[in-house]
Amino acid sequence: MDMTAIFGDYTAIAPLVFLIVAALILPGVQLLGKNRNITWAVGLVLAVVSMVVNIMMLTDGYVGAALDLFEYNAYSGLLILLFSIVLVLMLLVSNASVETTRFNTGAYYALIFAATLGMMFVVLSSDLLTIFVGVELTSISSYAAVSMKRNDPRAAEAAVKYVVVGGMSTALTLYGISMIYGLSGTTDIAALAAWVQTLPEINLLLGVGIVAMVAGYGFKIAAVPFHMWAPDVYEGAATPLSMFLATGSKKMGLSVFFQIFLVMFVAVASVSFLGETVQYLFAIIAAITMTVGNIVAIAQNNIKRMLAYSSVAQAGYILIVMAVMSEYALSSGLFHMFTHVFMKGGAFLIVGALICAGVGEMISDYRGLAKKAPFLAAAMMLFLFSLAGIPPLAGFTSKFFLFSSTLYGMEGAVDSTWVWLAFIAVLNSAISLYYYARVVKAMYIEKGDNTEKIKVPAPFMVAIVICLVGVIVLGVYPQLVFDLCESAAAALLGPYLL
Amino acid sequence: MEIPILSLLIVIPLIGAILTLLMGGERQKNAKYVAMAFSAITLVLALVVMFTDDMGTLAENYEWISTSFITISFSLMVDGLSILMVFLTALLVLLVVVFSVHDADEDRPNYFHALVLAMEVGLMGVYMAADYFLFYVMWEVTLIPMYFMISWYGGPRRHYAAIKFFIYTHVASLVMLIGIFAMSFQAAAITGNGVDFAFAAINPVIATAATSFQAMVFALLFFGFAVKMPAVPFHTWLPDAHTEAPTGGSVLLAGVMLKMGSYGIIRICLEAMPAGAAYWQWVIIAIALVSIVYGAFACIAQKDLKKMVAFSSISHMGMVMLGIGCLNDAGITFAIFQMFAHGLITGILFMVCGMIGHKVGTREIPLLGGLAGKMPMFALFMMIGFMASLGLPGLVGFWGEFGVIFSFYEFIQGENMIWLILFCLLSLMLTAGYYLWAMQRTIFGPETTKIDLTHAHDVDKCEFIAMAVLVALVALFGVWPDAALDYIVPYIGTLPVFGVI
Repeated sequence: MDMTAIFGDYTAIAPLVFLIVAALILPGVQLLGKNRNITWAVGLVLAVVSMVVNIMMLTDGYVGAALDLFEYNAYSGLLILLFSIVLVLMLLVSNASVETTRFNTGAYYALIFAATLGMMFVVLSSDLLTIFVGVELTSISSYAAVSMKRNDPRAAEAAVKYVVVGGMSTALTLYGISMIYGLSGTTDIAALAAWVQTLPEINLLLGVGIVAMVAGYGFKIAAVPFHMWAPDVYEGAATPLSMFLATGSKKMGLSVFFQIFLVMFVAVASVSFLGETVQYLFAIIAAITMTVGNIVAIAQNNIKRMLAYSSVAQAGYILIVMAVMSEYALSSGLFHMFTHVFMKGGAFLIVGALICAGVGEMISDYRGLAKKAPFLAAAMMLFLFSLAGIPPLAGFTSKFFLFSSTLYGMEGAVDSTWVWLAFIAVLNSAISLYYYARVVKAMYIEKGDNTEKIKVPAPFMVAIVICLVGVIVLGVYPQLVFDLCESAAAALLGPYLL
Repeated sequence: MEIPILSLLIVIPLIGAILTLLMGGERQKNAKYVAMAFSAITLVLALVVMFTDDMGTLAENYEWISTSFITISFSLMVDGLSILMVFLTALLVLLVVVFSVHDADEDRPNYFHALVLAMEVGLMGVYMAADYFLFYVMWEVTLIPMYFMISWYGGPRRHYAAIKFFIYTHVASLVMLIGIFAMSFQAAAITGNGVDFAFAAINPVIATAATSFQAMVFALLFFGFAVKMPAVPFHTWLPDAHTEAPTGGSVLLAGVMLKMGSYGIIRICLEAMPAGAAYWQWVIIAIALVSIVYGAFACIAQKDLKKMVAFSSISHMGMVMLGIGCLNDAGITFAIFQMFAHGLITGILFMVCGMIGHKVGTREIPLLGGLAGKMPMFALFMMIGFMASLGLPGLVGFWGEFGVIFSFYEFIQGENMIWLILFCLLSLMLTAGYYLWAMQRTIFGPETTKIDLTHAHDVDKCEFIAMAVLVALVALFGVWPDAALDYIVPYIGTLPVFGVI
């Protein structure tokens, strides 16, 4: 179906139109209908329609712009698809989870849709300022959503931390942007990429601007040393929301890195001193992020905190893309972002489902789960093994691509510059197996207090099965999504590569 | 239409594993029959492959993942090296199922059989893979069933042993993975054809690459394989894993999983990096000699019979590595033969240990004695197993050890280092010593009074069948080694010629 016939000049933002409508009408629907099931159904239908529209545009290969601000191409299409998958998974369980049904329904859905809209604005933008606005839309909606779990002191702490840290990161980002604008006279990223190539040597002010921006956006992806807030927020927030933040917001932050820094510096990567400095900056952040994330995760007893630290580590893996700065690395990074949605999303969903069934958040609460809930235990085991990178699951395949990209130099020759990073990543993969295996051990090997069967709400089961299918299918047949990742990487970096 | 027989060797155990896994509740008592049927079909298929005339050219190739950067295919092949391992895997899996008919009834037998069959999937995949991606996937697939087998069905310290085994070998495989990346990309850079993970696209190209590159990659892959074998000093996971694993797990672990390491060294390190192998030759030989002698010494010190057999595996796998380290045709030929021989013998040894633990109640050598009176058939099997393992002429173990030492002698004679043969002689002496001594203390002599032997009973029918088959093969290949050598020798002809002989 030709989308331009329906949406005309606004085709580029067609998937967003439905979300804007949802964000605006859902509080009204709730107010008038006074029935959270109806509100939920309307929201879910709009989200699914938006996803279908986007999939059709993506498979048609649509490219176009709207409002002189937004540009839809294979890259933005792919990430919009990722965000809508997260949104649909999140909505599926929102009406069934005991944690979210206590919220003010209309406001909750409006915030979720607004946050997703922000993410989509970011990936459609190619200007520092529009990206900034999109990120803020997501962040501010998320602050409010996290604070909705009002009677839980942990949630209050999480929300305050989130706001304060988020505010600081916003200030840093703006400071960096203003500096770069002052130097270059533009906020358009394509123009910045051209400007960077004309720079004779490293410029101290540019360095300060870059560092400020990296730090600002580093908070968003919880890169070490800007990660302190993440475990508290993921632990304190309602579990579906933790899933949303870990799989959705974090992907937006990573996309910001790709869209700004990767695009700006990819042409000078491994060529000039400036390019190499930026690459090493990111390589070090990546190495520290994955190592700290994995090592601290070992010590966690709360499963949500453990998953939060594991998310920190996963962001570290994806930052490898920023060190290697190649098209292949970007394709692999995008693919890993995709598989991460299913495996981390699935793990969080199981935690959320078990909370509904009265199981605690501690790893020790998972003892004997294999007897109480055989399907959930098996699914959890697969998600965790996938996160650890055990074949033939999705996490292995995407890590295989991602880690291999470190050695993949120009024209396929082995480039030994990043071998050390590959070693660190591989070692981290091994460390991570330890804490994932701890949960598996608790579920399968240790004995629980009772063997009563656990029943969880049906929507959770549907969402978990979707994630499970994703983890297995993308592991055995990665081609399905990897082709899209390749065209996305080509769409983003193509104009800037020689 | 041609029957994809190699894929079936992987698919049939997979179906069996899924079916047995689903046989919960009342039906779990019948899981063993399902497992037996599926492993028997696999063994028949393996025999069909073994006796087809065009065995060396048997290969299957399906496109799997193809992007603009890399090509990965699901390709399988069987040649003289792999067929022996495929046969050994199919045989031992069936025998483990038969052997455990009574043991496995106690606790969730359907899971036990699903794990055994899942392991067979991975092992078959490793031994037939002709693509590095597939090889690595299958390599890791073998880990998870073994982890669960140890931690569900193992001894008192099983949790520790299982996680140690899992993490230790996983780290090694990850290092190997980096080596695989380096090889694949270098091959692509040399040919300019894009990255193709197929063995055929990489091995011949890397074999001609610069020595420094080959040496580096050889080290990465060799580490991964040496941990699996295991070679001293990377062996510490093995005694724990074996002591705690159930009998069936031990048989598969020692019989075919350790062979993955030596198989990898020959299939990948030697085929793709002959110059790298020559570069590290003395390191390989040193590791091999240390493993042989250290393993033998450690055996003497063991009180637990099963731990002793575990350490003897280290010593015997060291013998395989020594054969490989000679880097001459005879050495590699007999190294492969020794892999096959050790697989058969070790099956008997671990079944014997399992039976002692099960029927007598303890495996502590000092507590045992005079079992031959109560359990004559058992004593006979134990004696044959031990004799085969110490290299008695006429049994299969003799040819492997004799051949390797013979080749090693030929090699060191050329290097004017004949004194090195003393290590081999020392190990032969120690091996004979610890086996005879252990036998004397367990089955011979006056009947022990330290433990209650009134409930001890002799070999039952299923155990008898499983062990008799192995004993028959040990004797058959002992008097007729050509039956195996006929497969190995043509394969040796396809290996690249090594610079140093």
